[in-house]
Amino acid sequence: MPVSLYWLQCGGCSGDSVSLLNADSPDLPRFFNQSGIDFLWHQSLSQTTFKEKQKLDKALLSGRKKLDILCVEGSIIRGPGDTGMFDTTCGKPKKELAAALSRKAKYVIAVGTCAAYGGIGVDGPALATGLQFHRSEKGGFLGHGFRSGAGLPVINLPGCPCHYNIITGTLSALAAGIDIELDEFNRPVEWYGILVHQGCTRNEYHEYRVEEHEFGEKGCLFFYKGCHGPLAYGSCNKLLWNRRTSKTRVGVPCFGCTMPDFPQSYPFFQTRNIEGIPLDLPDGLNRAHYMAYKGMAAAAAPDRLKWRKTGI
Amino acid sequence: MSKKLNIPVNRVEGDLEITVELSGGVVKDAWCSGTMFRGIENILRGRHALDGLVITPRICGICSTTHLAAAAAALDMICGANVPDNARRVRNIALMTENIQSDMRHGFLFFAADFTNVAYSGHSLYEEAVRRYRPLKGCTALETIAETKRVLEIVAILGGQWPHSSFMVPGGVVTLPGASDILHCKNRLINYKEWYERRVLGCEIERWLEVKSKENLDAWLDESESHKEGETGFFVRFCREAGLSNIGAGHGNFLSYGSLDMPEETAVESGGGALFIKAGFSSGGEVREFDQEKVSEHVAHSWFQGYEGGRHPLSGLTIPHFDGKDADRYSWAKAPRYDGLPAETGPLAELIIAKDPLFTELVKKEGPSVFVRELARLTRPSRLIPAMEVWLDEIIKSGSSFYSQPGDVPDGDGFGLIEAARGALGHWVRIKDSRIEQYQVITPTAWHASPRDSNGRRGPFEESLVGIEVRDLENPVELGQVIRSYDACLVCTVHAIEASKGSRILSLRVG
Repeated sequence: MPVSLYWLQCGGCSGDSVSLLNADSPDLPRFFNQSGIDFLWHQSLSQTTFKEKQKLDKALLSGRKKLDILCVEGSIIRGPGDTGMFDTTCGKPKKELAAALSRKAKYVIAVGTCAAYGGIGVDGPALATGLQFHRSEKGGFLGHGFRSGAGLPVINLPGCPCHYNIITGTLSALAAGIDIELDEFNRPVEWYGILVHQGCTRNEYHEYRVEEHEFGEKGCLFFYKGCHGPLAYGSCNKLLWNRRTSKTRVGVPCFGCTMPDFPQSYPFFQTRNIEGIPLDLPDGLNRAHYMAYKGMAAAAAPDRLKWRKTGI
Repeated sequence: MSKKLNIPVNRVEGDLEITVELSGGVVKDAWCSGTMFRGIENILRGRHALDGLVITPRICGICSTTHLAAAAAALDMICGANVPDNARRVRNIALMTENIQSDMRHGFLFFAADFTNVAYSGHSLYEEAVRRYRPLKGCTALETIAETKRVLEIVAILGGQWPHSSFMVPGGVVTLPGASDILHCKNRLINYKEWYERRVLGCEIERWLEVKSKENLDAWLDESESHKEGETGFFVRFCREAGLSNIGAGHGNFLSYGSLDMPEETAVESGGGALFIKAGFSSGGEVREFDQEKVSEHVAHSWFQGYEGGRHPLSGLTIPHFDGKDADRYSWAKAPRYDGLPAETGPLAELIIAKDPLFTELVKKEGPSVFVRELARLTRPSRLIPAMEVWLDEIIKSGSSFYSQPGDVPDGDGFGLIEAARGALGHWVRIKDSRIEQYQVITPTAWHASPRDSNGRRGPFEESLVGIEVRDLENPVELGQVIRSYDACLVCTVHAIEASKGSRILSLRVG
């Protein structure tokens, strides 16, 4: 019995869809075939005509056709007021369709940070929100108590965009009936139980507190350039992007795009400090211990790092 | 009696609704309406000067690199930054990579999928088209997914990831690609080029670039089986039989902002002055100098707080105003105008501005059309790949300067104008006290999906639809093809609209 999948785009940029097209081993079309996924609808990728799509919507909403997996990409746009008229389809607010389909689906997946937590539009006039969270606050559009047909909350796959392997991995797991353990922000622990920092090729510089003050200097980006690598949960440096590398490896700070409060309200590219030590420290750290450790680490730094000889 | 029909125009990026008035099966008038507002510009106001580098790529997942480049260029201007040659090369290569993948994804996943529409079942090439372009199944569609994904590794190597990186900053790029990185990029590019030549052109790039007239094009097509069967040759043959060179003309005004800063020392030939792709505006066959002061936006028919006439983006206002009552207002898109005129932008416009002989002749003889617009896009990689190869080689030879610290961002105005895959993209920025005071973005699709302006003049999509005879009201494939020939990306039309990718609904009013 094929597993049916419906991909609904709401207030987003299509970044998660184009990320999905980067799926590797196998390519996306083969992935669907292999996993037994029946790709019912995607606005950009389906051949389905709009007439057929309207029929499909009717069949799904009336329960005549089963909906196994609903993927929502983009935030739920509620503005202006609570009308949702900033994002419509056929003259009706898109959020109504999102709510109706969510009630029919066995599993609901929020793909990307916008769908999960509100993301980019959350502080703007669009009054964007996430499916079951508003930033880190539980509730969001569907409400804290929402459960999909399988009795699960919305499965959040944040990231801006979400890594393609996380999307295909989650879909594979659900299609195969494998349970997915979720963390406090309803992210699968499998991919979000690791820090972005883990696997960064700048770790040697990080350990000895040899930091970048200016771009392109070679060093760790945590103390001055606003990098969230040691703070944000995500597997960028484990899975790697486009099969090659990651932002932090090439010198772009991690902006914490998998976290519920992305985008942060304070400036990017700079670290908030208390006496030269980042205001935000990795989970579970004691500030005094951390200061002592970093002071000793800096003192122990070998010359090859201080002189930026070691590669990244 | 008027009747409303909903018709599919999916496979475009973003949500757009078009209402068409038909009489006797012919489109008499059209209204194009963007159906989403994300308010990105409003979000940017008050944020730190550099934050646009992180926020604006998120305007569009399809062309995030171009938004980043425009944001960085605007800040370069405000800072008076001196961008090192190698940083220019890295920026250019990333932008060009994004374009050459986008052109193929658009061509074979979105545009050519229409050839598999049942409306063409009587076409002599229909079965072959289905074999090639059936979504997620056709052989060319599958190859396109595989090849575009691989070429994007270049952007990742240079910028960390694709989409949505922020590796360009005022003064250059933050990355320090080494020789092995650049060699990998080169290998990726050569792989892509091999596929592009073999499958898409059916000949070497050099051979295609010898096609300089309509006569040359016909001779090229007849020259060999590989020219005829390659995607480009197949496209030409399909379009000719389907009559796609007769529809979708638009206004015949073309705009290019120009793009790709030339390094000071390079073997690549400039397209015009300091740019690889030339800037200009063309109306009535005459190409003029481009002046960004002549860009303005109108809101007379958009759901925004109104003002008289047009405003330059630096004095633009984006204040949503929607009460559902004003019948004259029908879109979340503003109406951009150049010197008061609507304009087409994108690969065809670039070629018209550059006075390319083949495309100038085709437009002169046959007028702009779905066919010529898409042909310009399918063949664009042939004009970009050779320069990319040279610049990659030059990076290795030119040392390791990728960034020149420009200091803090001072107060001032700046703009970043570049050519995205879909055409002219502009960011206009005002910085005060290290904060963003004003940020206005005009995307290529904003030009195309424009509603009427304050003089009541239609936008390019609207104009291009007028006069088309719709053969089957239940399946008006030709209308969708006109819109898709512009490579519509509504996701990107931030100003006002922002959309999920999408289903373009044509609401046809028959009466």
